Amino acid sequence: MSDPATSQYVSLKDLTLAYDKTVAVDRLNLDIHKGELIALLGPSGCGKTTTMRAIAGLLTPRSGSVHIDGRDVTRVPPSRREVGLVFQSYALFPHLSVFENVAFGLRLRREPDLKAKVMEGLQTVGLTEFLDRQPADLSGGQQQRVSLARSLVMHPKVLLLDEPLSNLDARLRLEMRTELQRVQRETGITMVFVTHDQAEALALADRIVLMRNGAIEQIGTAEEIYNAPVSGFAADFMGFETILPGEAGGGLAWRPGAVVLGKGPHQGQVRGASFAGERREYVLESPFGTIKADVPISETRFEIGQQVAFDLPRESAVELARID
Amino acid sequence: MFENRAIGLALVLPAAIFAAALFLLPVGILLSEAFRTDTGWSVSAYGEFFASSRNQTVFFRTLKLASLVAGVSAVVGYAAAFAIVNLPASSRGRMFGLVTLPLMISPVARTYAWLVILGRTGFVNKFLVDLGITDTPLRILFTETAVFIGLLQLFLPLMIISLVSAMENMPRDAVPAARILGANWLQVFWRVILPLTREGLVIGGTLVFTGSMTAYITPAILGGSKVLMLETLLYQRVTVANDFVSASVIAMILITMSFSANLLLKRLATARKSR
Repeated sequence: MSDPATSQYVSLKDLTLAYDKTVAVDRLNLDIHKGELIALLGPSGCGKTTTMRAIAGLLTPRSGSVHIDGRDVTRVPPSRREVGLVFQSYALFPHLSVFENVAFGLRLRREPDLKAKVMEGLQTVGLTEFLDRQPADLSGGQQQRVSLARSLVMHPKVLLLDEPLSNLDARLRLEMRTELQRVQRETGITMVFVTHDQAEALALADRIVLMRNGAIEQIGTAEEIYNAPVSGFAADFMGFETILPGEAGGGLAWRPGAVVLGKGPHQGQVRGASFAGERREYVLESPFGTIKADVPISETRFEIGQQVAFDLPRESAVELARID
Repeated sequence: MFENRAIGLALVLPAAIFAAALFLLPVGILLSEAFRTDTGWSVSAYGEFFASSRNQTVFFRTLKLASLVAGVSAVVGYAAAFAIVNLPASSRGRMFGLVTLPLMISPVARTYAWLVILGRTGFVNKFLVDLGITDTPLRILFTETAVFIGLLQLFLPLMIISLVSAMENMPRDAVPAARILGANWLQVFWRVILPLTREGLVIGGTLVFTGSMTAYITPAILGGSKVLMLETLLYQRVTVANDFVSASVIAMILITMSFSANLLLKRLATARKSR
């Protein structure tokens, strides 16, 4: 991966993006490898969608540059960037059939083998019988697959996906997740997707770019970020519910499952308890603040208002470089 | 909606009677004037009307100016509407207000303002002479150009309003999606914006065309008797010549043209759609 042609397939250099006077992304640097599936993860307003729009060329940077496949495309309009974008709203053309939607870019390109290419695209997403339908007659999941096919047939250098799973119900979400992974495996296409859902990012991405306030908080594989968040923010985003300050500005973080209930040196009062299938979740009020814990359903049950002994074992905590 | 249809009918009846007795009937009588002769019913009045070369000139001038105003306001309107829709929400309301502001000012006042602007010593001529573009002031008032300018200013807001509301109903990301799929701006317009705003264009086009054709004040003040339009001709026939037959013929022509324009535009819109 040291070859810059593949390790810096998409490269953002000192990218600053702004709407009017508000700076949305501040001097961001990011290299995306060829064939990688990367997630831009963060809460709303962190600049992840803005960054994606800048890669697509829908937003001109205030400063810095965007490079795709070795070419500086900072001033290149979206129509000549060779990127694909699956919008959160799908953005299908409502006046065109499914076939014509998928054919849209190919027609502009005067593709000689139009029909075969469109059918191949629809086949990839399993929608060949729907070619004569209008977008309004399709379900949300089907519309999204048309949108995906419409981008894929263009063989873009990078495929961008804006919150690809957030509008789908739980069952479709799993299906689409598998679908995206399969498409990525089969085509080897470089994919960048934007999400606010850590579970989605963890499940799909080769690498996660965690963003906060227009800057990158942490980059790493799913396991790296999950097991070793660098800050209180990253830990919080990765599901560490109990974060306590440690020495020299650092801190310690525990997942709900790492908190021991029923024994230990500390005391807390149960404020909330809820059933979550295999486990039971508790919220404790303690001298350290609010503690969230969950324990296997088979263990002793505590009632709301009850005083409970608990322990935050040092060995199951993750050390944070920064607590903020 | 009503349990008893009779109640519904009873509610509609007064308005229906009112409209029939005081509007449809007089209009019918007035228009029938154009088909009545001393010996019976005939369409000969139309033949006579069009036999006059002056009437022909007025007819084709009206058709030409109304089409031109509709066409130019569509082009200008698309640009303006697209700009307004893409403004941030805060300034969008302000721009939209500026566009609709002229609608709140009396057309008489607006048209007199054009007299001042376009006159021999008006702003436009002073500008042109001062810049040395022309030696003597241009004659703009009482020409077709003056009527065209007046009508365009009068009706452009209606086109912009129709197109803005049509564009607001387009799917939010349709334009960027087309851009990313390789469309340049011209292709985005023809393949995405135009088909998706066609209803707005038909409504705006009909409003502007029929409005321009049937406007009275603007052609009367800016065109005078030198640039007669059907509407000013109609007024002249009645007040000067007491010629109600010609007036009825003109009224009939205006109504027919308004309806045909609407039908034609609708046809054009659906023809492209069914493709």
